[in-house]
Amino acid sequence: MDFLIWHLLRESVRRTPDKEALVHGDQRLSYREVGRRTAGLATSLRAAGLKRGDRIGIYLEASVPQVISIFGVSQSEGVYVPINALLRPEQVMHIARDCGMKGLITSASRLGALTDILQQIPSLEFLVVVGDGEASSVGQKLYRYDDFCDAEPPAAWRATSIENDLAAILYTSGSTGKPKGVMLSHANVVAGSRIVSTYLEISETERILAVLPFSFDAGMNQLMTAFEKGGTLVLINFVFAQEIVQVLVKERITGLAGVPTLWSLLAQPNSTLSKQPLTHLRYITNTGGAMPQAVLKVLRQTLQSTKVFLMYGLTEAFRSTYLPPEELDRRPTSMGKAIPDTEILVLNDQGQLCKAGEPGELVHRGPTVSLGYWNRPEETARALRPNPLLPPEMGDCEKVCYSGDLVKMDDEGFLYFIGRRDTMIKSSGFRISPTEVEEVLFQTGKLRGAAVIGIPDEVLGQVIKAFVVPRDGEPLSTEALLATCAEKMPRYMVPKFVEVLSELPKTSSGKVDYPALRRREEI
Amino acid sequence: MTQTQTIEDRVREFVLKQFPLARKNGLKPEERWLESGLIDSLGILDLVHFLEEEFKVQVTDEELLPDNFQSLQAVAAFVRAKQTNSASIAS
Repeated sequence: MDFLIWHLLRESVRRTPDKEALVHGDQRLSYREVGRRTAGLATSLRAAGLKRGDRIGIYLEASVPQVISIFGVSQSEGVYVPINALLRPEQVMHIARDCGMKGLITSASRLGALTDILQQIPSLEFLVVVGDGEASSVGQKLYRYDDFCDAEPPAAWRATSIENDLAAILYTSGSTGKPKGVMLSHANVVAGSRIVSTYLEISETERILAVLPFSFDAGMNQLMTAFEKGGTLVLINFVFAQEIVQVLVKERITGLAGVPTLWSLLAQPNSTLSKQPLTHLRYITNTGGAMPQAVLKVLRQTLQSTKVFLMYGLTEAFRSTYLPPEELDRRPTSMGKAIPDTEILVLNDQGQLCKAGEPGELVHRGPTVSLGYWNRPEETARALRPNPLLPPEMGDCEKVCYSGDLVKMDDEGFLYFIGRRDTMIKSSGFRISPTEVEEVLFQTGKLRGAAVIGIPDEVLGQVIKAFVVPRDGEPLSTEALLATCAEKMPRYMVPKFVEVLSELPKTSSGKVDYPALRRREEI
Repeated sequence: MTQTQTIEDRVREFVLKQFPLARKNGLKPEERWLESGLIDSLGILDLVHFLEEEFKVQVTDEELLPDNFQSLQAVAAFVRAKQTNSASIAS
């Protein structure tokens, strides 16, 4: 019976061992090969001291080792923590400390930048390093990834995990504070894979291009659906949209998922997308924000034989809604309806169901509702609450996920996004907490006040604008301020605009008046 | 801006201004900034926009390749080649 994440791989290895499973540049691995390396890595991780439930970070760019690590950690009964390759050492340290990471899988080229932070992670016992390079002297035990994969697994693999066990932690931001770890069980991830592969009709002939990082729920879901169905997953490291188009052609890609920013790049007026017939491309999906209507129009004109699925999900509930392609003409601005085996409720502040057209909070119920945030019981209790619609006799037996997204539903059950309940910013698919950016601005020691807001941007969804108040009498170079930020944060978190104010607008209780700042920008 | 500034100087100035991380780490002419993540997909679009405005060249999508944009040196060479081509067509 298949109920754990690595069982999805195991079943495809058994069914189609010689089928191409994973492609990256010149590397082509069959399911047998992926299964062998995964089992080798799992065996070695156990030998290195990994116990059931231990958290293992994976800080790698898109690569074969990244995929093997996800399944290897899972098979060894550890919990994998994918870390976006764009994050800088400061954020890696936060994640590692927050989840009490025991081991970290990273590359030799990334290790140098991490040397300083590694000694500040008390729980970290070992590192598994991909690729050759000079191993810097660190306090932890160092292992070579290639050696780990070569280990011979025992004839019979002993595992006691069940589907309710924690499988992965995905770090994501909210409206305040540092990123929080969303806990996903094996059941969550496996259910997400089965649900999505059902409505996208994914089969073993699928060739999926993975552009989204696996630290995103939608990115991870693509990997799972490909391996569950015995399809092929193609990895890419790209800077130019044209590189994606080349791979779409060369690898006869059938499925591509992206965030609105990617589609905007591909739909640029002189994009090579329109110059290549992409007859293999069966479907594309959008997630991580609404696709601008102009971009959607270009894509539909250019890719006439390709189905377009608009999707919505939040990490806390993995995947929530999708708009079937045949509905696109009738309701192009809709975020769709509930995915199979899922119910989406629109609730008002009293916890009652909203009428059609009445704005309320999107509340998700179904098998992909996560286990909450790692080590944050209060925030978990706010996001995951007892289902208010169950009869009291059932008690608090079911938790539903409050998304913080305001939506309305039409009388046929299709949903429309209105806005956020809080101040969270979303840029190129990334969730950004204003307070995390403000904290870094304050760390420069140059400011008396700082507040950031998201302002609308055609390509990115939102970009960050910072309002800053210099310390009295001190000159302020905004360029130097941004340079310091760029050292400590990935580029998508660095403010695009900075305005110097003599005072920040305040509410009567003395807090920063964010609505007043938004009004200044006419938002 | 003065006439004596080379293409390389002007691109460097733009990158230092636009990409704060470059200021901290300095910028070597041969540094491969795509690989180091200093400039990403969206950053490249900003850079292309700048080249088109500043040097009056047209960058086609076919020319948007790592070879032309992987370093300060590569960008300067690319702009020089574009200018030479359009000059020879004009004459």
